Amino acid sequence: MAISVEHLKRVFVDFVAVDDLSFEVGPGEIVGLIGPNGAGKTTTLRSLAGILRPTSGRVRIDGHDLLDDPLEAKRRLAFMPDEPHLFEYLTVDEHLRLIARLYGVADFERRARALVEELELVGRERSLPGELSRGMRQKVVIACGLVRDASVLLFDEPLTGLDPIGIRRMRETILARGRGGAAIMVSSHLLHLVEEICTRVIIMDRGRKIADGSVAELASRADLAAAGSSLEQIFLRVTGRDPVLPEPRSPC
Amino acid sequence: MLSPSLYIIVCTARNRLRVRLRRLREPRYLIGAVAGAAYLYFSFLGRMWGERAGSARRGRRTPTPDTVLLILRTAGAGVAGVALLVMATLGWLLPVRSGLLDFTEAETQFLFPAPLLRRDLLIHRLMRSQLGLLFAAIVPAIAFPSDSVASRARFALSMWLLLVTSKVYFAGVTLARARLASSGAGARRIAWLPIGLFVAALMIVGNAVGREFLHRAPTTFSEGVTRLGGVGMHGLPGMVLWPFAALARPLFAVWPGGYLAALAGSLTVLGVTTAWMLRSDEAFQDAMAEAAERRAAKTEAQRTPTPRARTTGWTLRPSGRPEGAFLWKNAMQMLRATSGATLVRYLAPLIILGTVISSLMMSASQARGRAAAFCMMALAAAAFAVLLGPQVVRTDLRADLGHLELLKTWPVKASAVIRGEMLWPVCVVTLVGWLAIVCATIFSAAAFPEVTLAWRLSISSAAALLAPALVSAQYAVHNVTAVLFPAWVPLGDQRPRGLDAMGQRLILFGGVLVSLVVMILPGAVAGAIVGIAFRRFIGAAALIPAAAVCGAIVLIEVLMAVEAIAPAYERMDLVSVERGG
Repeated sequence: MAISVEHLKRVFVDFVAVDDLSFEVGPGEIVGLIGPNGAGKTTTLRSLAGILRPTSGRVRIDGHDLLDDPLEAKRRLAFMPDEPHLFEYLTVDEHLRLIARLYGVADFERRARALVEELELVGRERSLPGELSRGMRQKVVIACGLVRDASVLLFDEPLTGLDPIGIRRMRETILARGRGGAAIMVSSHLLHLVEEICTRVIIMDRGRKIADGSVAELASRADLAAAGSSLEQIFLRVTGRDPVLPEPRSPC
Repeated sequence: MLSPSLYIIVCTARNRLRVRLRRLREPRYLIGAVAGAAYLYFSFLGRMWGERAGSARRGRRTPTPDTVLLILRTAGAGVAGVALLVMATLGWLLPVRSGLLDFTEAETQFLFPAPLLRRDLLIHRLMRSQLGLLFAAIVPAIAFPSDSVASRARFALSMWLLLVTSKVYFAGVTLARARLASSGAGARRIAWLPIGLFVAALMIVGNAVGREFLHRAPTTFSEGVTRLGGVGMHGLPGMVLWPFAALARPLFAVWPGGYLAALAGSLTVLGVTTAWMLRSDEAFQDAMAEAAERRAAKTEAQRTPTPRARTTGWTLRPSGRPEGAFLWKNAMQMLRATSGATLVRYLAPLIILGTVISSLMMSASQARGRAAAFCMMALAAAAFAVLLGPQVVRTDLRADLGHLELLKTWPVKASAVIRGEMLWPVCVVTLVGWLAIVCATIFSAAAFPEVTLAWRLSISSAAALLAPALVSAQYAVHNVTAVLFPAWVPLGDQRPRGLDAMGQRLILFGGVLVSLVVMILPGAVAGAIVGIAFRRFIGAAALIPAAAVCGAIVLIEVLMAVEAIAPAYERMDLVSVERGG
C-alpha cells in the first residue's frame, strides 16, 4: 500500500484532534477526505506529511515508516497545504529549483517548464510570492509538489483561491496523477468535486473515521440507503446533520 | 458610543488577560512569568519599597529638598512649557501623524458602517488608547524618586494628563492638517490659522529667550535652567506659554494646594484641547482617506519587495549537498530583503556606536591622527561583528521557524537543515569581521606604535582564526535554542508581549551567555596551553597556533552540538512554535 495508517491519534494539550484512525490507500487510488469543520482532516494530512508528530499510531509511506525512516518516506510524498507558505524572497522558478535540488530531481528544466505551462504560471517565473495573487501562490505550492515524481500526493483544500479555469485544470491534474499511479488524498469541502474525481471517500467527524468506501458503496449501505445517492446527502446523514432524517449515526 | 466602546475595551482586556493567565498552565510561560515578575520586583518595586522602608527607619523625616529639586519646582514648569510649545509647533510643520486615527481593520469593518457620528469614533479611539497611556504614565511614576505611594500616584496622574492631552492635540493637528489644502478659501484660512498662531507664539517666546541669554550667557547649567524657566513667568511670553506650562505644572507642584491648583489648570487645557479636536471632526473623512492610503501604501511596501533586488546572478545548481541549498536560500533572502532603508536603519546606530567606542579607545590609549582613528573604528567594528553580529543577523533557523511547515516535509537530515541554515549568516558575519580586522591591522602602527609588527600581525592572525569559531559558536547556541525552545523565539517581526514573554527573553539571554562560555572554555584552555608551550620558541607568533587550536576545538563542538540536537529537531512539532503573543 502506498499509504498505510494504523491507529493514528493526535492530541493537542487536552483536545483529541484525530482518534484511532486507520486506513490504507493504494497506488492509483484517489481518496477524498471530507468532514465538517474541526473534524481532523488537516491534522490527519499534516500527520501524514510529517509536519505533525502523531501522539500514537503509525504512518507508512510506500512501506517506509514516517517516524523510523522519515527521509525515505518524505522523499516519496508531496504535501500541498491549504495555506500557501512560500519563501518571501524566492521567485517561482527559484522555488522549483530549490525543491528540485532538495529532492534530487534529474530532469528539472523539462519538468519545470511543463508544470509552469500546465498550471498557467507562464510569465510569472521570475515573480516573487508577494507579487502573486493567492490563487497563483497556491499554484506555485502545487507546482512544487508536482515537480518531482512523488508516489503519494496529499492535497489539503487544493482549490482554495483558484478561478473556475484553475479549478478545472487542477481537477485534470489530480486525475492525471491518479492515472499515472500516484496514491492521492484530497481534503475538500467541495463535495461535488470529491464525488467527481475520487475513487473512494473517507468521512471524518470529531477526529474519528465514520465512513469509508466509494460513493456507490456508501449509498448502498443499509443505514444510508434512505439518505439518497449523492455524496452530499450521504455526508449529511452520516455526520448526523441531516435535517430531514435525524437518526443516530451508525459505525462504518 | 460610550457603552459599546467600553464593551470592546473591557472585553478585549478581559480576554487578553484570560489568555495570558491560561497560558501560565504551560511551564514555559509560568517560568517566564516568574522571571519577569522577579525582574520587575528587583528593578522597580523592590527599590520603591526599599526606599519607603528606609524612610520609615529614618523616622519619617521629610527629605531635605536638594538643589535639583528646588530648581525643578521653581523652573520645571516653565522649561517644560517651552519644550512643549516647540513640540506643538513642530507637530504642524513636520509630517508627524497621530496614531489615534489609525483604526484597526476590525474597527473599520465593524464601526465605520455602524450608525455612529464621526466624533463617536474619535471618542472610541481616545478611550481605547487610555490603557496604553496609563501604563506609560505609571512606569515613570514607579521610577520617580519618592518615599510615598501617594506622591507617585500624583506623579502618574500628572503624567497621564500630559500624555492624553498630547495624544488629543496631535490627533487634532492631523485632522486639521487634512484641510490645509481645502478647496474653499474660507476653510483654508481657518485651517492655516493655528499654524500662524503657533509660529507667532514661537517667535514671541524665542525672542524672550534670546533676550534673556544673548546679553549674558549662563555660567552654570542650573542657572541656565532657572533663567529659561523664568521666561514664561511674566508678560506676553508668560501668556503665550501659559497653556503649555499649565500642562506640565502638576509634575512639579507641591501637595496639596499648589498641586490641586495646577491640576485644575492642566484639566482645563485638556478640556479645551479635546473640544477643539472634536470640533475638527469635519476633516475626519479627509484624514481617514489619508490614513487609508497610508495603510495601503504600507501594506503594499510590505507586500512588494524592492524591484532592484530581482536578479542576483546566483543560480542554484541542480545537484549538491542540501546545506548548499539552504545557504543559497538564505543568501537570496538577505540580498533581496536588504534595501537602502534597511542599511541606513542598521548602519546608522552601528556607526554611532563605533564612533563612541573608538573615541573611548583612542582616549584610553591617547592615540592621535586619522590612521589611528581608522584603526580604532575598525577594531570596534570587528568586535561588534564577531560578538554581536549573530544577534543582529538572524537569517537562520530563527527566521525560518515560520516556514517549519515546509521544512518538515523535506527529505533532509535534521543536522543538515540546521547546518545549512547557519552557513550563510556565519559566512556574512565572519567576512565583515575579517574585513574589519584587516583594516585595523593595516592602520595598527599608528594606533599602537609601541607594539611591534610581529605582535600586531600575530594578534590580527589569531583574531582572524578565532572569528569564524566564535561566530559559529554563537549561531549554534541561538539555533539550538530555537530547536529546544521554539516557542520562546519570536517569529519574524513579531514581538510577544506580557510579563511571561519578558521573563522568557531574560532567561534566553542568560542561557545563551552561559552556553557560550561553556562552549568556548575548553578551546580557550587548550589554546592557552599551546600558546604558553610555543611562546618560548616562536614568541608572539605562538598566538597563531593557540588561536588555531582554540578555533578548531570550538568548531568541532559546534558540529557536535548540531548533530546532538538533530533528534530534537525531528521531534519538534509545528504547534510548539509561538504564533503570536
